[in-house]
Amino acid sequence: MTTFATKQEKKALIERLNVFTAFALGAISAIVVWRLALAFLPADAELSPLFTREDKITLLSMIAWFIGFMTGIGALIGPFRWVQGKDLSHEENMFYAGKDMGIKRYFRYTTDHKVVGIQYLVITMVIFGIGGILAMLIRTNLGKPGGGWIHPQAYNSIVGTHGIIMIVGTIIMVTGPFGNYIMPIMIGARDMAFPRLNALSFWLIVAAAIPLIWAQFIGGISTGWSAYNPLAGQAPLGMDGYIMFICIFAISTMVAGANITTTVVRMRARGMTWNRTPIFIYGVVASVALALPAFPVFFLSQVMSGMDRALGTSFYNTALGGSGWLYENLFWIMGHPEVYVILIPAVAALMEMAPVFTRRPLFSFNVAVMGIAGISGLSILVWAHHMYMSGWAPLLSAPFMLTTELISIPTGMLFLVLVGTLWRGRLWMTVPALSIFALLWNFMIGGITGIYLSDVPADAFLHGSMFVTAHFHYTLMGAGLTGAIASLIYWFPKMTGKMLNKRLTWIAFWLTQIGFNVAFMGMFFVGLQGQPRRVEAYAQIFSKGNLITTIGAYTIMVGMLVLLHAVISSWRSGIKAPMNPWQAKTLEWTVANPVPLENFEVLPTVTSDAYGYGKASS
Amino acid sequence: MSDLRSPEQSYFQSKWWKRKDVREVVVLWIVFTGLIGYFSTKFQNIAMGKPASETMENVIHLITTFTWASSPVAGFVAALAVEALIQKRHHGDNPPPEADHEISSSPRATALWLVISALLCLFALVVGLIALQKDDQALLDRNAIHVNVTGQQWAWSYDYPGSTGVRSNVLHLPVDQPVLFHVTSKDVKHSFWVVQMGVKIDANPGYVTETAVTPNKIGIFDIRCAELCGLLHAYMQNKVIVESKADYEKWLASQPDTGHTTWKAEGASS
Repeated sequence: MTTFATKQEKKALIERLNVFTAFALGAISAIVVWRLALAFLPADAELSPLFTREDKITLLSMIAWFIGFMTGIGALIGPFRWVQGKDLSHEENMFYAGKDMGIKRYFRYTTDHKVVGIQYLVITMVIFGIGGILAMLIRTNLGKPGGGWIHPQAYNSIVGTHGIIMIVGTIIMVTGPFGNYIMPIMIGARDMAFPRLNALSFWLIVAAAIPLIWAQFIGGISTGWSAYNPLAGQAPLGMDGYIMFICIFAISTMVAGANITTTVVRMRARGMTWNRTPIFIYGVVASVALALPAFPVFFLSQVMSGMDRALGTSFYNTALGGSGWLYENLFWIMGHPEVYVILIPAVAALMEMAPVFTRRPLFSFNVAVMGIAGISGLSILVWAHHMYMSGWAPLLSAPFMLTTELISIPTGMLFLVLVGTLWRGRLWMTVPALSIFALLWNFMIGGITGIYLSDVPADAFLHGSMFVTAHFHYTLMGAGLTGAIASLIYWFPKMTGKMLNKRLTWIAFWLTQIGFNVAFMGMFFVGLQGQPRRVEAYAQIFSKGNLITTIGAYTIMVGMLVLLHAVISSWRSGIKAPMNPWQAKTLEWTVANPVPLENFEVLPTVTSDAYGYGKASS
Repeated sequence: MSDLRSPEQSYFQSKWWKRKDVREVVVLWIVFTGLIGYFSTKFQNIAMGKPASETMENVIHLITTFTWASSPVAGFVAALAVEALIQKRHHGDNPPPEADHEISSSPRATALWLVISALLCLFALVVGLIALQKDDQALLDRNAIHVNVTGQQWAWSYDYPGSTGVRSNVLHLPVDQPVLFHVTSKDVKHSFWVVQMGVKIDANPGYVTETAVTPNKIGIFDIRCAELCGLLHAYMQNKVIVESKADYEKWLASQPDTGHTTWKAEGASS
């Protein structure tokens, strides 16, 4: 490594680039462009709305940050070579893959899917940490009726930031760490189809984080995570940070989606037909394949929002011929598939674990696949149920009610698969096994309350209330996050070579599950009483329910801290994990700990599905 | 019963309704369905309080119906889950022996499950459509009085077409009289929510949206904004006073002409 680096100037450049040069180049670019824009951008014409010049300067500086950061991390080296008519040498590719590099490879543009998986795992935990702290601020502020101790502007910004980063965190929580680390090994591949795109998708998230942090210092995101126009049009400069964040994150999701889809379609091991492909793979593919059409729309909606703010266009400005309903449509065309982007891989991960912890075959594999496909297909046809009360198209209420309620059928299929697998199994009482029960409980409540919300007349009462907030926390957190934490426990031995502490995770499981149900039952209650969402103050009658919710939230916090402690202590000094601690039959358990750079010395051949548990009975 | 057969074999050779675990599930199912239905509807009714219009009575009725319709499903899943938990648990670091069967599908169970979930879905849809039809009919009521609602950051104001330019910040309505709201906004999106009457519609700048209700109880009820609308969204609320027809007329006559020319909404027929 050192020998080839000293030979040539350009190779040395590759070697020098890492996260520090990225931050430095990003910061320098942003400052330079900011100063230039300040000096040379003309003042606004008198008629243009407030902030336009400042919006231009902010957006330009953020774009400069983005380009500087991506250049500094080394994302442009490959394309630059192609322009020159060359490609990377084998040695350079090995360097990119992080061969023999130790801890340093986690701070570089490393293409090894295992490195990217660990990077995703860490950044997901950081995101949940920050989002959790914001949630605790919200719940503390809402501990008693009347206004809290946080200024309304700051409060609104906390709500918006909590919303958007938790959405991002939950989108990447399964497909990021486990979709990247485990999925290629599970299908018997040596890496992803596009290793450099894999590194790109991760570092784009890091690049996106800075505009979001930046936004907090220039007015915050006071619009909620949905950033409806025209409210977003009149919001302070922080909104530009939100716009930039979404645009970069959308690119990351699209890149990851194309990469994962291609990998699964093209690179499954010999003999791994679609019937023998593990159900987790279906979940991951369905998730990213849904993101593929959804996120370009999200990207576009924010580009238009930014143009309205900075360039005086009027996509969403009613006074100049635009429409806020256009924004709502674009936003939810992304927003409804997006909840299934979050949910499907988490449920699929638990379906993957169910046979392992009941020691019997997965019940009705075909039904599981049909359920996932059915949810994916329907989920792109339901977006306007978020707009029943918007007045946009009252005549479409009934058709959207139909499509929304139809989703209960494929969702029911997933329940059938899980309870069918539990039936007459030999239950191995581990935390992932308990998580299956927690998912059934939470997802059942989240799903049934979804039926109330899908019903237009009932939604006329429930829409925009705390009931909605409680409902989607039951689905995304109660079902989704439960599945993600179970995945962490299940695949931790393969990813780190250590077992995750059993007692601590058990304590964390019960604290978070009990705290969660206390918190969000209280929230259902105040929602039914009539408390709107996203309020900083509330009337006396809501005080009991809110106090209960706050107590529940603190219980979740304690549980999450215990889990964090378990992860850190086990990672550093846990019990060494055997190659296949759960005696599971998927391919990732056939490779050694730590997983070798190219996973398999000889690529495996698959001759059956991975669920051959259970003895013949006669 | 031959002595040579293992317990597993005799299990699989017995009729399914004679099996112990099936019977346990049936008992658990009935118990859980009752418990879930009873406590959920209780929870909902305590929280939602007393309705102040037929629309809200319908909302409560719908939610109760959905709860009872879905509690057998929730009860069934819960029964299967509990049955799995009380049977053959295994603790320890090594996996238990494999299960005594390798059943990987059951076309009959799957078909039954699909048919039942499709029927439940159809039921929810039909019930919802009937209620929706009622709400839509209310919009066409010719006897309705009209109220124009304007949202702005962070207050609601009400105009009474047909009066002498009356504008108020507390909504007054006569009891048992259909009312049609024409809702708009001066700045950003708001959402006009008359809580105890179960109606809500967004207030959009540049557009007029409509919702209708017939208050059927005299009293003071809440109006809140249900769409985040900026700094003081939480405080964007006021009251609706529902009074007798005579009191309402008296109040309307006593109000000064505020000089606001009442805006005439699209579709407002009076």
